[in-house]
Amino acid sequence: MTNIAEHDKNARHLLMGNEAIARGALEAGVAVAAGYPGTPSSEIIENLARVSGKRDLYVEWSTNEKVAMEVAAAASFAELRSMCVLKQNGVNVASDFFLHLAGSGTRGGMLIIPCEDPGALSSINEGDSRHFSRMLEVPLIEPGDFQEAKDMTKWGFELSEELRCPVMLRSVTRLSHASGNVVFGDLPEVDHKARFQHDGFILDPDTGIVSSAPVDYRHGLQQEKIKKAEEIFETSPFNTYTGPEKPELLVITSSACNLYTREAVLLLGAEDRVGILKLGTTWPLPPKLLEKHLAMTDKIMIVEEVIPFLEENIKILAAELAGSIGAKTFYGKRDGSIPTTNEMNPDLVVAPMAEVLGMAYEGASAEYTEKALPLAFFNAPSRDLTFCPGCPHRASFWNIHHALTLDNRNGFVCGDIGCYSMAILPTGFSTLRTMHAMGSGTGVASGFGQLGRFGMDQPVMAVSGDSTFFHAVLPALVNAVHHKADITLVVLDNSGTAMTGFQSHPGLDTDAQGGDAIKLDIRKICESMGITVRESDPFDFKDTQQQIFELMEIQEGVKVLILKQACALSPEKKHTKKFEMKVVEEACRGENCGCNRLCTRIFRCPGLVWDQEQGISKIDDAICVGCGVCADICPAGAIDRKEVA
Amino acid sequence: MQIAGSKELSEQVLNQDLCTVCGACVGLCPYFKVHKGKLAKIFDCDLEKGRCYAHCPKTDVDFEQLAQALFQQPYNGDPLGIYRRITAAKAGERTGTGDFQNGGTVSALMTCALESGMVDGAVLTDSDGLLPKPKLVTRAEDVVKCASTKYMATPAVSCLNEAATDGKTNLGFVGTACQLTGVAQMRLNPLEKSDFVDPIGLTVGLFCTWALDTRQLMDFLSTRVDLKTITGMDVPPPPAEVFIVKTGETVVEIPLDEIRELVPKGCGVCPDMTAEWADVSVGAFEGKSDWNTLIIRTEKGEQLVEKAVAEGYLVLDDFPAEGLEHLTLGAGNKKKRAKENVAKEEK
Ligand SMILES: Cc1cc2nc3c(=O)[nH]c(=O)nc-3n(C[C@H](O)[C@H](O)[C@H](O)COP(=O)(O)OP(=O)(O)OC[C@H]3O[C@@H](n4cnc5c(N)ncnc54)[C@H](O)[C@@H]3O)c2cc1C
Ligand code: SF4
Ligand code: SF4
Ligand code: SF4
Ligand code: SF4
Repeated sequence: MTNIAEHDKNARHLLMGNEAIARGALEAGVAVAAGYPGTPSSEIIENLARVSGKRDLYVEWSTNEKVAMEVAAAASFAELRSMCVLKQNGVNVASDFFLHLAGSGTRGGMLIIPCEDPGALSSINEGDSRHFSRMLEVPLIEPGDFQEAKDMTKWGFELSEELRCPVMLRSVTRLSHASGNVVFGDLPEVDHKARFQHDGFILDPDTGIVSSAPVDYRHGLQQEKIKKAEEIFETSPFNTYTGPEKPELLVITSSACNLYTREAVLLLGAEDRVGILKLGTTWPLPPKLLEKHLAMTDKIMIVEEVIPFLEENIKILAAELAGSIGAKTFYGKRDGSIPTTNEMNPDLVVAPMAEVLGMAYEGASAEYTEKALPLAFFNAPSRDLTFCPGCPHRASFWNIHHALTLDNRNGFVCGDIGCYSMAILPTGFSTLRTMHAMGSGTGVASGFGQLGRFGMDQPVMAVSGDSTFFHAVLPALVNAVHHKADITLVVLDNSGTAMTGFQSHPGLDTDAQGGDAIKLDIRKICESMGITVRESDPFDFKDTQQQIFELMEIQEGVKVLILKQACALSPEKKHTKKFEMKVVEEACRGENCGCNRLCTRIFRCPGLVWDQEQGISKIDDAICVGCGVCADICPAGAIDRKEVA
Repeated sequence: MQIAGSKELSEQVLNQDLCTVCGACVGLCPYFKVHKGKLAKIFDCDLEKGRCYAHCPKTDVDFEQLAQALFQQPYNGDPLGIYRRITAAKAGERTGTGDFQNGGTVSALMTCALESGMVDGAVLTDSDGLLPKPKLVTRAEDVVKCASTKYMATPAVSCLNEAATDGKTNLGFVGTACQLTGVAQMRLNPLEKSDFVDPIGLTVGLFCTWALDTRQLMDFLSTRVDLKTITGMDVPPPPAEVFIVKTGETVVEIPLDEIRELVPKGCGVCPDMTAEWADVSVGAFEGKSDWNTLIIRTEKGEQLVEKAVAEGYLVLDDFPAEGLEHLTLGAGNKKKRAKENVAKEEK
């Protein structure tokens, strides 16, 4: 792995986009970085945390994205360079503060870095945070390749400092997680000095109070900053044009779509017919630059992912400029040339481009696509999304499913985001019946918990991970307690932010930089609210189910069950087998009435496999992690576990 | 007998609300379980033919096949089923004392059967608080501890299934008609499993006109009495028309009409009042609440009764002709009602 904290000026390194961003921040002399883990953003904070000692940084995994942005903003107010890193929906979480921060302005350069997930490869949404830049009136910049990821990060800090407002730098999965060559720049000497000036003239942006009020005045200032950004963007080197002077077709694009567009033009061999205007500064748009390029031709194609953000902004400009540039024909999302959901790829650009140019292009045949799509969607039939072997969530949902089914009052579970979201699928016995944002399981349950007055007699449960508990469950839980909602919350405590790679959270005693941290006790927090709290080990089926039954018996108020068992991939468990597992062949009932493959058809831990020929289930030693749980599900007692000495 | 799988069982019985929680489908596999008196299907099982369906008394029951297997004679449609004789009975001194519902005949017969080694264990119904709790009893002195009627639909057969899975054989079983129909069908080995062993040594049937839904009864009673103080329940024979709940100090009488609201729909299609598929069947005795009506159906039943009388577990008396008339009428009426209700269901 490249050491991003080496001086190494002018050296060329193969960097992941997220490493390039982290390097850019170091080159800019960033002092504080805060974020909340979320794919595809997490490696930026992780990389900075790793070199925090060497580069004199403060790096933290904050409780949630709003707090992360607040923490980073404070550093900016104290004239340090700072950044806040989050995934697309994290921007929503932070947006309330973000709105006010845009109004108050910043001092030290401050970047908000959302890494987004078009196509929802590791999300349950494909939110597009670009709109926040227009909505909240802050500049938006988007690197188009790996070098730019580094360079624009560095420049973004300077821009923010010049404008005195936060700047959004947006990345996407294919940039954050892919790798490319990056030439290093210089690393500055660091000697961070923090001081917050607040006793100057009250309205002075550099020495007065930091606030979005008085709104009329500050909002005016903010809009002047955007005007200034527009001017700066007119000559930005990150807006580039490649192609003939008079192209038949002008493609305007940004971010990862820049790469797809370039490839599409090459594939068609249309370099002398198509021009590409790659924008690095995507909001506000620089009007003169666009006027110049829009005037080149009548046919304009806009290539971007998900929502037509660029397209709409360009069309507004084109309407304003119609007098000088004339009428245009646009190809993009609005006319259906470019899809409005999912990731883009070169093929999706080639097809409409070939059509506009009147070229024949043999793309993938319709028949192929028809067959390939579902396969790709289900990710090859036997490899459906599943909890890992030995995952405590499988056991937890096994228990919850059993308890709710046996209770037999049509109870249900509200869920949210974490590995446990997969319980909406058969791997979690389809236990989750609602699933939304971080913390929403408890919030939604809190609402259901009030509906008894309208005749709802179904037991209401919510689940939350330990990290999510602190992130956004707490306010919902307080609400539920305060309003006496009748719910049972099951906290799936696997001792870490497992989904995104074991980042620290307030329930643990270390922080992002590996230092000591104060560990908050979920049980005590709940008990201090007067909640009846029980604890169990999800691997102990009998006790866990009994606890759930007993808690559900308590009709009124909030009940909490904490299910404690470390994630199968957690550092303390990885590569250790507690039990040696074996299926006793003679005892296995297989497909016969009396079992019908409970282990391999329903429980479906990947460590168990079905041997069609012999008609019995077996343990796959290479996959089984020896958690021992399946021995307790087998109705025939055919799964044997032997403690590993 | 047309055998299907759990999907059809759900469609034809559970979803039609016809389940009387006899437990015949429970304890065979991981998919059907009972919790607090209610049957739940934990996961879908996709087998086309299963014991769950084949054993259930609420799917099509082939009376002819059962009569041949249990009595080696054709089914005759008698309201009281196939039987050898009817007598009055009550526990003798050797049985010991217990909280008998009536004459203690059931307890007497099972105590005798266990003590004499005629059976090696017996599946009886004890209770855990108010909740009926099927239990495998292996010591004769524990039989009387399970005395008294729990008027709730009870998954007694599940306990038998579990014991059989454990390899236990030569077991006694006490239960109502639906439970015994389930047991009888199980004994036919309908899936023709090669490793099947009949676990039954002796069956004692209980007369039954209806049972009550456990959860509904608890909800209903909880508004009237402190559930923890309940010591027993009884339905005195007509014309009393009350349901009696005994607590430590008092006896609460509840009009039967209110109680009938808590009877599962499945009892309405039950044609069998006297538990026809048993070795002997026992019920209340009209006019004398400390005696029982005892119907002896099989040779094995006859042997047990003779032994129990000879050894002082059981005392017999004549059964009056008038009683037989009433019993036959009552049982016949149940068959008629069931037929009408089945016809209604089918419409
Ligand atoms: C639900 C139900 C309804 C009944 N309805 C009638 C009726 O309408 N007319 C009538 O004459 N008799 C009826 N009986 C039978 C009656 O109540 C007595 O059980 C019977 O007369 C035997 O009395 P005993 O003194 O010999 O019983 P005991 O010696 O007290 O023994 C009772 C036996 O019944 C078993 N038992 C108790 N509850 C249940 C249950 N829920 N399921 C299965 N087994 C159980 C126990 O294991 C025990 O061995 C009914 C019984 C039940 C369980
Ligand atoms: S659950 Fe047990 S009996 Fe059933 S298939 Fe698996 S190992 Fe065999
Ligand atoms: S078919 Fe057999 S295994 Fe399947 S649910 Fe019925 S009894 Fe269970
Ligand atoms: S009546 Fe008995 S066998 Fe039928 S579904 Fe209900 S519990 Fe199962
Ligand atoms: S009436 Fe029939 S179905 Fe109902 S409990 Fe009695 S024997 Fe079972």
